[in-house]
Amino acid sequence: MAFRRAEPPRFGILLGMSLHTASLRRRLVWLPIAAVAVLAPVGCGRLATGPAPKQVIYWTGWSAEEFNTQQRLVDEFNREHPGIQVQMLSQFGNSGYQKVRIAFAGGATPDVMSTIWADELAGYAMRGVLEPLDGYLKRSGRDLERDFTPGVARMLRVNGKVYGLCATTNTSFIAYNKAIFREAGLDPDRPPTTIAELDAAARACTRYDGRGSFVRYGFRPGGLALWAYVFGGQWVDPATGRITADHPGNLAALRWLASYAKTYDLKKMQVFQSTFGSDQTANGPFFVGKVAMWSTGEWAEQFVHRYAPKLEWGWFPLPSPPGGRSNCSSAGGSVFVIPAACKNKEAAWKFLDWFTRPKPVARFCSGIGNVPPVVEAGADPAFQQSALFRFAVNLSRSRNTFGPPGTPIWPTYAREIGRVEEKVMLGGGDPVALLADLQRRMTREQLDALRDLRQ
Amino acid sequence: MRGRSHPFTPSPLRPGKRRASRGAQLTGLAFAAPWIIGFVVFFAYPVIASAYYSLCSFDAIRPPRFIGFENYRRMFFEDDLFWKSLWNTLYMVVAGLPVGLVASLGIALLLNRKVKGMTVYRTIYYLPSITPVVATSILWLWLLNPEMGLINIALGKMHLMQPGWLTDPAWAKAALILMGLWGAGGGMVIYLAALQDVPESLTEAAALDGAGKLQQFRHVTLPMLSPVILFNLIMGLIGSFQYFTQAYVMTSGGPQDSTMFYALHLFNRAFLDFRMGYASAMAWVLFLVTLVCALLVFKTSVRWVYYAGEGR
Repeated sequence: MAFRRAEPPRFGILLGMSLHTASLRRRLVWLPIAAVAVLAPVGCGRLATGPAPKQVIYWTGWSAEEFNTQQRLVDEFNREHPGIQVQMLSQFGNSGYQKVRIAFAGGATPDVMSTIWADELAGYAMRGVLEPLDGYLKRSGRDLERDFTPGVARMLRVNGKVYGLCATTNTSFIAYNKAIFREAGLDPDRPPTTIAELDAAARACTRYDGRGSFVRYGFRPGGLALWAYVFGGQWVDPATGRITADHPGNLAALRWLASYAKTYDLKKMQVFQSTFGSDQTANGPFFVGKVAMWSTGEWAEQFVHRYAPKLEWGWFPLPSPPGGRSNCSSAGGSVFVIPAACKNKEAAWKFLDWFTRPKPVARFCSGIGNVPPVVEAGADPAFQQSALFRFAVNLSRSRNTFGPPGTPIWPTYAREIGRVEEKVMLGGGDPVALLADLQRRMTREQLDALRDLRQ
Repeated sequence: MRGRSHPFTPSPLRPGKRRASRGAQLTGLAFAAPWIIGFVVFFAYPVIASAYYSLCSFDAIRPPRFIGFENYRRMFFEDDLFWKSLWNTLYMVVAGLPVGLVASLGIALLLNRKVKGMTVYRTIYYLPSITPVVATSILWLWLLNPEMGLINIALGKMHLMQPGWLTDPAWAKAALILMGLWGAGGGMVIYLAALQDVPESLTEAAALDGAGKLQQFRHVTLPMLSPVILFNLIMGLIGSFQYFTQAYVMTSGGPQDSTMFYALHLFNRAFLDFRMGYASAMAWVLFLVTLVCALLVFKTSVRWVYYAGEGR
């Protein structure tokens, strides 16, 4: 894919304007000069005591307790680096992430941000608004593939260049209720390893009442985007960048999901599921023993600990079919980037470099209950004390960990994959036709995006 | 040049008056300037710009690329979600809007009786319409829960069918319409004000002529209310075409796109997919559809709206 730096960013997308900033900037240039002329006498006394620290504005996507955990690390960085003052601002939630887009459009970006989802990284990188980090990494003696887990490293490269670093990542696996396994006649210490065993366990654990309504169900698979990899599929050809929605592996995964729609009344299952709270409340179906197996991640531990401390539970990686990929997991989450328009790149890099080193990463991840994307950080005792985290850290190092593929349209693509899955699971749609249609539409969407980037 | 007066020569008649009026004009303009500038900068320019962007491929970061009517062609011939969302939105207009209009009129009629403590009842019925939509939406997520929601528990007690509401594509829009009735108080207040204006002499005259309650309503009250009904209809029409918040908060367009409304699809195209040009084109189509519907309503309104003093 051809890659070029962007035109100077345009001003004021909020107003729907397309006013070029150059002339405006030329005029505004006098503003700081005038300000300095006016304020110089005031500041003279301070200048004598040495240069003021360089300010690095950092937008974080974390909030509440997670923000505080990060703030402690930022404070530590500021203490260790008297020449740099990092100021962290929380841009939380969807509106925060949308603000990033508007900031890029207006050329008014901070110096560092982690308010970018991995899903969006390729899109921003290809639009030329992110600083490539290869040179910085090299000068700091770092190596992406050596320092980071394989899935994360792959996700951070766009067209061969590194555009961001991660301080956290997640894993995907299945948690199971050992008591239900035992009651259903399954060995609680031998969870399923193949798709056939998973299906059988799901059937064995499902119970109905006299009216045919669910009393408990075994498993409701979801997330075609990830299961496709389990079945040997892929969404984008990593070598050519071509869309491969109709890959035989994707189709096999979708057919398998559809088999659940045939075996169970998924609408009824959904209604039954909605009786309970979400997976993050005390009333979540897994916590109250209404589902035997739960697609989840390492965060499950703190919820089980909080809501169902007496639950007898275990976990296992996503089972795979013959010829599929074992130990599949997903990578993703927030990515730290330096915008191309950043004026203070060296200082910004110093902070980014420091924050993504093993020690701060280990402290941040253990503080907020995430898995570290930095290989060395995984050895930290904080993760080795918990059996679940030992398992999750191992899983995150799997070669079969997949982050968002490097296409600029991934947010759209991912949403459309979800729609296809829903159509099959709840609407009885035809997997072959739906994937062929997805292939056609996404190929065109990507062509459009690439044509825009090439101009 | 002889014989023609200079254009700026003050007219011999009342020489001071014209200058003063121009001065007054400028003063007036100066006072109106904040609004005029605001209108031009924040409204007129974006509207014109969006018309241009609708002919472009534009991701809000890189410069727009002119592609003619391609966005419109795609929308009409290749985007299944465009038609689906348009259909869903029309459903809300055709099915949801009349239900809302009738409900608020009905409540207004009930609250127009001379009963003790009426102001309290009116306040109670009006209150929900000033609760923030997001808060109401979350409340209704619970009320509409198929198993634990109060609505289905009540239906169950009466041995009636308990729909899946927001989890069932066939019922999701109906659930949103039902929820919309919760905000009927807004329209009710306007009807109430109009009902106070129906002259008692007319209903009395009708009663003396032997008209029953229903006939009085049909031939006196309703015609007197018709201008207000037209107002509520037009405002409701515009509001229904822009239906967004509830779907954004409660369903994100699901299940199976059954609550994917036009404005939500537009929002997704603009802010999730970076397709500002496409979204602008969608906005223009929505504007035209709304305009045509509003004009049709106005056109037919001569037949059913009665303005007192029109001599009909």
